[in-house]
Amino acid sequence: MDPVSTGEGQITRERGGTSRREFLVVSGGSLVAVSLFGLSACGGDDGGGTASGDVLMNLSPDVKEIVSAQVEAFNKQNPDGEVRTRITPSDTGQAFDQLRTQFQGGGSDIDVIMGDIIWPPQFAANGYIADLSERFTEADREAFIAGVITGNTYEDEIYGVPWFTDAGFLYYRRDLLEDAGFSEPPQTWDELREMAAKVQQDAGTPNGFVFTGAQYEGGTVLGLEFIRTAGGDVLDGDTVIVDTPEAIEGLAIQQSLVADGIAPEAVANFKEEEASGAFLRGDSVFMRMWPYAYDFLGDKEQSSITVEQVELTELPVASEDIPRVNVGGGFNFFINADAADPDAAYALIEYLTAPEQQKQLAIEGAYMPTRTELYDDPEIIKAVPGVRLGKEVVPATTTPPVSPYYSDMSLVMSEAFNANILGSATPEETAATLKSELESIISRGG
Amino acid sequence: MSAIRVKRRPRSSSAPGIGFYISATVLVLLSIAPILWVLKMSLIPRAELFASPPTFLPQDFTLSSYSTVFSDPTFIRGLFNSALIAGVSTLACLLLGAPAAYAFARLRFRFRTFLMTGILALAFFPAVAVIAPLFLEFKALDLLNTYWAVIITDTVFVLPLTVWILTAFFRQLPRDLEDAAKVDGATTLQAFRHVILPLAAPGVATAAIIAFIVTWNEFLFANTFLFDSDHWPATVVIPNFATTHTVEYGAQAAAALVITVPIALVVLAFQRRIVQGLTAGALKG
Amino acid sequence: MNGGTGTADNRRGAGAAERRTARWMVSPAILLIVAVAFFPVAYSVYLSLHDASITSVGGWVGFDNYAQLFRDSKFTGALLNTAVFTAVSVTIELVLGLTIALGLNQAFRGRGAVRTAVLLPWAFPVVVSALMWRLMLQDQVGIVSYLVQSLGLADSPILSDRTSLLIAAILVDVWKTTPFMALLLLAGLQTVPKDVIEAAKVDGAGALRRLFSITLPLLKPTILVALLFRTLEAWGVYDLFWVMADRQLDSLSTYTFEGVRVSQLNFAPGTAAAVFTFFAALAIALVFIKLLGARTAEER
Repeated sequence: MDPVSTGEGQITRERGGTSRREFLVVSGGSLVAVSLFGLSACGGDDGGGTASGDVLMNLSPDVKEIVSAQVEAFNKQNPDGEVRTRITPSDTGQAFDQLRTQFQGGGSDIDVIMGDIIWPPQFAANGYIADLSERFTEADREAFIAGVITGNTYEDEIYGVPWFTDAGFLYYRRDLLEDAGFSEPPQTWDELREMAAKVQQDAGTPNGFVFTGAQYEGGTVLGLEFIRTAGGDVLDGDTVIVDTPEAIEGLAIQQSLVADGIAPEAVANFKEEEASGAFLRGDSVFMRMWPYAYDFLGDKEQSSITVEQVELTELPVASEDIPRVNVGGGFNFFINADAADPDAAYALIEYLTAPEQQKQLAIEGAYMPTRTELYDDPEIIKAVPGVRLGKEVVPATTTPPVSPYYSDMSLVMSEAFNANILGSATPEETAATLKSELESIISRGG
Repeated sequence: MSAIRVKRRPRSSSAPGIGFYISATVLVLLSIAPILWVLKMSLIPRAELFASPPTFLPQDFTLSSYSTVFSDPTFIRGLFNSALIAGVSTLACLLLGAPAAYAFARLRFRFRTFLMTGILALAFFPAVAVIAPLFLEFKALDLLNTYWAVIITDTVFVLPLTVWILTAFFRQLPRDLEDAAKVDGATTLQAFRHVILPLAAPGVATAAIIAFIVTWNEFLFANTFLFDSDHWPATVVIPNFATTHTVEYGAQAAAALVITVPIALVVLAFQRRIVQGLTAGALKG
Repeated sequence: MNGGTGTADNRRGAGAAERRTARWMVSPAILLIVAVAFFPVAYSVYLSLHDASITSVGGWVGFDNYAQLFRDSKFTGALLNTAVFTAVSVTIELVLGLTIALGLNQAFRGRGAVRTAVLLPWAFPVVVSALMWRLMLQDQVGIVSYLVQSLGLADSPILSDRTSLLIAAILVDVWKTTPFMALLLLAGLQTVPKDVIEAAKVDGAGALRRLFSITLPLLKPTILVALLFRTLEAWGVYDLFWVMADRQLDSLSTYTFEGVRVSQLNFAPGTAAAVFTFFAALAIALVFIKLLGARTAEER
């Protein structure tokens, strides 16, 4: 500063100093006010929750009511620790994403994880969930459905306890088939094609067969089902076998069903709601769907057709010598590898997967149990139609490929299968593309 | 288009003709037709939602979607969270943006153009690009799953628009008032607080309303940084009117209307103010 | 606190104080922005030059990630989609917005109601409207699909075809954002001095002539700023594509999101895509700012 302004500079500095102080006071005050407001509104903090004996479990909104009641009962029985729940997104993909992000960011505070069947390999490979082989013994496992146990196994260790399962069923319009002269449901895809075409012609039903073919996890499941019902598969361990003749035939069946007009081209955009919507308003002869949709049949607000008009059966196969198969999902329980009290966590899991609780889940929520003995229980059979058929269908339920890189695989598979439905590539091309993409994933994953 | 054509026809007054009113009606209908459709979706039963071909007028009337929505504590909580997040973000935006805008508008200092461009540059950021690093940053600061993570991010991403509106608004205020205040010995800051701010009400109101609407409707950051349904704003709650397999479109439609109606009312009340505020913004864009 | 000395000295001293005050007024905003926006971008740039994953930085790979990007047909597709989406939607929004603004610029009965109705689409949250639109476009049950097919404009499901899906996305964006454009332009229109227009009318200039020779040139700064904001917003489009197109159509941002949040192995290319999106947007913006700067300089 030059000498002339020094005099003024001092006064100016004074003025500047005052204004700076003023400013700090004003802005500081505002920030403090805002912080207090924000902090007080933050509400229940959820850090930890894992004092010894306390267990935090994530809870999918689907099962909110039933499980909350069960947890309450458990808490009453076990006063020394408390089980709390946290509601997570209803979309399992989102719930998985959140959980995985938390783990990647350093860890999650959730002790008991309620999750989809495709989660265990992805979590186990990174050490996020605990190996349950000691607690969940071989003897215990025998009470559960074999296929689901396999899905919870990674590198020969078991990481999850099965809870409820889902399987793929073929829904069909018994009345329409009878009118067209068919007394039995189709055993092969060719038979389905023939029956659907006849009914579409005779009765004018717009759609022959609807399924979830959109570009998402459901689309992956359907693609896998077409491949497996043709006797093929996508992965055999670490080897990609999606280009075998059987797999290609499965893809060809899927494509031809759409190309021949049996399935509408719109299945490429269908998720569960759209597909079941079409069937429930009476516009489709066949549908591939999870068992939950059966519940809607009695309800006028949800469905235009009734229980008497519909029947469930297994999915058809490409040829009669191929064993029946479907691809399922379902929920299981895992324990966070960093859980503060794994014993308490496992105690909760044992309780929730016990026969009585599974029965309650089945009767009140129409969920399919994972304990094989429950499939003979008359009350459950009455309440859950899927269970009646479950005895045949459920043991034939397989799970999607077991891989720590399943997210990436599902992305490329759903895209490939979607292109297959739309006919943008031939089945051979689809298989070739998938093969190179899956091999690339496996090799990069290491 | 026909508005201009109408003007060509010779007329005694400059009042708009019938063609203009027809175009205006068409415009209004096109704007609100989808919203009316959403209203219909919220009032019909699920079976009719999937009617083929779709029905124009509701065949069956039901209020079950609204009862689902209003009886859901997560949604009610979501409304509260939305208000909190949007409110605090708007406040923070104004507290940070108004002084900065005033400095840009009136004061001369080094790097002024550079900083102004820098703040505007924020508008270039695809929000998705900063999600991953921000997540790690918030994790390190232990801010994950708190309102702060969303408030901070929302504030930062709405700042460019706020600053732009306020800068232009301050610029067009006559300088005499501040000069008079300064002659009387007030500091810049005092002039700002006591002279300018009171006059700036329309501009501030506009900036506040726009900031509020944008943060009220924000989804991505809330969805990424908040794990707990206790903290979710309404925009994140709505897609969760669903279960693993089913989607309750009726409830989602009802919820969407519920969260838009207050905004619509605010817009209706302040639409003249909003235009006034933006007018200033346009003067010295 | 009365200063009361020579004016020239006052100004010099005041200049320094002014700078200081300015710094304090601007700092909080700048600091927050640097912390929340610039650091992450800088970090993303850093990560994009390594074989990064969400948990580790990995080894240096230089521009390999970028090379991989341009070899990925999914990325180039996303780039094309985003470019087309941006160009077309912004153009339509500008033309429509201008028309609406011109209409609303005059007084007429019901102006307030029209203004509100026109603003409603903008106030509707994108995520929800995208969900509803998807249902409206869905084959067999959607009202828009039904209308489009009845009019013979399409015979295959709208959502199955990449092109029709892109067109639908553009139209939904136009529906949603034209109001905001119209508002910005309306504000600009209201600053056009009425006497110039009146003089032209008296001189016998027709409406279109008045529009192109007088109104639009005076509106240039407003148009450019509105274009700037809209173009950049469209370039970063995410919600609309992710929810409505539901993975069947990718934009630059959905590609990035898939890479950094969904996939396990594509984190590095995803980060590279994010950086690319950012710098491309910067380039676009600089073009607009140059144009704007030239305009306002002219005016001075």
